[in-house]
Amino acid sequence: MGENMRDLSDSPNKLEIRDVSFDYIDKKSRFSALEHVSLAIKEGEFVCILGLSGCGKSTLLSLLSGLHKAKSGEILLDGKRITEPGPDRAVVFQQYSLFPWLTAKGNVEFGIRQSGRKYTGKQRKVKAEEYLANVGLAGAANKYPGQLSGGMKQRVAVARALALESDVLLLDEPFGAVDPKLRLELQELVSRLCTEHKKTVVFVTHDIDEAILLSDRIVVMEPGKIRTILNVGLPHPRRREDLIGTAAYENLHRKLIASFYAHVEDNIDSEVIL
Amino acid sequence: MKKFLLAPGMYIEFGIATLLFVINIVLTLALPYFTVHKAYYDSAAYIAALSLIFLIYAVSVHMNKKKSTSDIAVVIYAFFAFWEVAYKTGAVRNDLLIPSPEGLFHVFVDKPQEIGADVLGSLQLLFWGFLLAVVLGTLLGLLAGWIPRVREVLLPISNAITLIPPLMFSAYMIMLLSTFRQAAVAVIFFAVFWPTLQGTIARVGQIDKSIIEAARTMGVGTLGMLAKVIFPYCLPGIIRSISKSLRGAFMCLSGAEMLGMNLGIGYFIEKYKGFADYRCILAGIVVVGVITTVIDIAVNKVERMVIKWEV
Repeated sequence: MGENMRDLSDSPNKLEIRDVSFDYIDKKSRFSALEHVSLAIKEGEFVCILGLSGCGKSTLLSLLSGLHKAKSGEILLDGKRITEPGPDRAVVFQQYSLFPWLTAKGNVEFGIRQSGRKYTGKQRKVKAEEYLANVGLAGAANKYPGQLSGGMKQRVAVARALALESDVLLLDEPFGAVDPKLRLELQELVSRLCTEHKKTVVFVTHDIDEAILLSDRIVVMEPGKIRTILNVGLPHPRRREDLIGTAAYENLHRKLIASFYAHVEDNIDSEVIL
Repeated sequence: MKKFLLAPGMYIEFGIATLLFVINIVLTLALPYFTVHKAYYDSAAYIAALSLIFLIYAVSVHMNKKKSTSDIAVVIYAFFAFWEVAYKTGAVRNDLLIPSPEGLFHVFVDKPQEIGADVLGSLQLLFWGFLLAVVLGTLLGLLAGWIPRVREVLLPISNAITLIPPLMFSAYMIMLLSTFRQAAVAVIFFAVFWPTLQGTIARVGQIDKSIIEAARTMGVGTLGMLAKVIFPYCLPGIIRSISKSLRGAFMCLSGAEMLGMNLGIGYFIEKYKGFADYRCILAGIVVVGVITTVIDIAVNKVERMVIKWEV
């Protein structure tokens, strides 16, 4: 078991979230999405952020990507403060967000261009084909996103994110819109690719199984706050059929369910009081 | 031969259209004049026109395999047959206002150079006015669509100006600018610029937010966003609006030419109105119709060539 365990205890912090708060403000009201959240993520670590919708997990990811700015606190990447989005943090969105006017290959090449690395046009083409082959889409290089299925689109989005050659990969419920059969395939693909490319990954999900399958650590969120953090401690690579039924898996699953239920009870309580 | 050219089940329609084509030829060649007319014209140009229509019909029915294509051909040929019979039997009394179809198409044999020069003149003016308007309107529209402050200035102004028919400017433009050509270009520019600007602003506003966010997370800056993301995103809409505004532009151009140009197809029509030569006026109208149709088809072809990603 020990051979494939990731030992990250000596790794430096890649991402540091320090006492971050964030409010959504519209014309009439102010809604506090995150309150004094702190979290450190090690280099090469795969962290899942798990929670129900509206708990602020996607907000936290958009702060990491730089699309939103924290009201207070700071987020550090390699010790430097994040102020805006950049190609050093690749993002995969749930709604694919591919450029419809570019082919699958064109989308990946766009990512390669934005990586800021100096490649010739020829090298870019070769690289783009490599990345597409990586996600199992070598045959669809010249198809436009409109001609691809949801699962294929998300593969292209993953390839485009890899093409940025960033150390950090941020995924916001990437497989939420993909049907369950394909989801498993994509989970294994992402798990494999992130290990191969030594990525530091933050993966937002509301799927307990997905979180156990993929991550080194699971951060469970409740509205605005981190409720608890669990170390997964299972060897990589993992396969769902090997995991299900094992004591370690059942134990983790139970703990996660318990923390979810506790959260639901809180909600019921508060509603009863109101 | 027809087996290869036609989809099954279309022989009857094709047969009827072909029969009507032949009937038209027979009518023009063999049907005698029952009344006395002021002038008689040779059938050659008319037969050439009928044949050209048949050629276009045969090619398009082969390409698009639609029954309605045959129906359109039938309607056109029936119209010509009716016209021919009405003229020759004397049902049409006013020779001057309503010429024979032979007479109408004979204009193209009488004055090919004049018509050619006028068409070329019109197209040149159209090209410059249109090019300027589309390029400037799109550039400014992208900018205004992306930067709220620019948009909030331009949108109300353009809303007010688009309500004024561009032709109303033309009398003033002719005075203001040194040549009629410049005036005509200016009128076309006004006809196309404001709708293009407004359309582009609207399209930028409708852009999928997640695409912008994806581009931002990849570190795309403001210029790159406009050139590499927003422009290609809006391109299908821009091209689609071109065919609409081209039609508007051509209308304005013909109008402007009629108001005081010395060249162009609008001028051609206006000139022969002065001579009360309605045969030439009708020929000019036919030319305008043909040009707008050809432009329309060309724009559609370009659209399909450029926009491969939208089916």
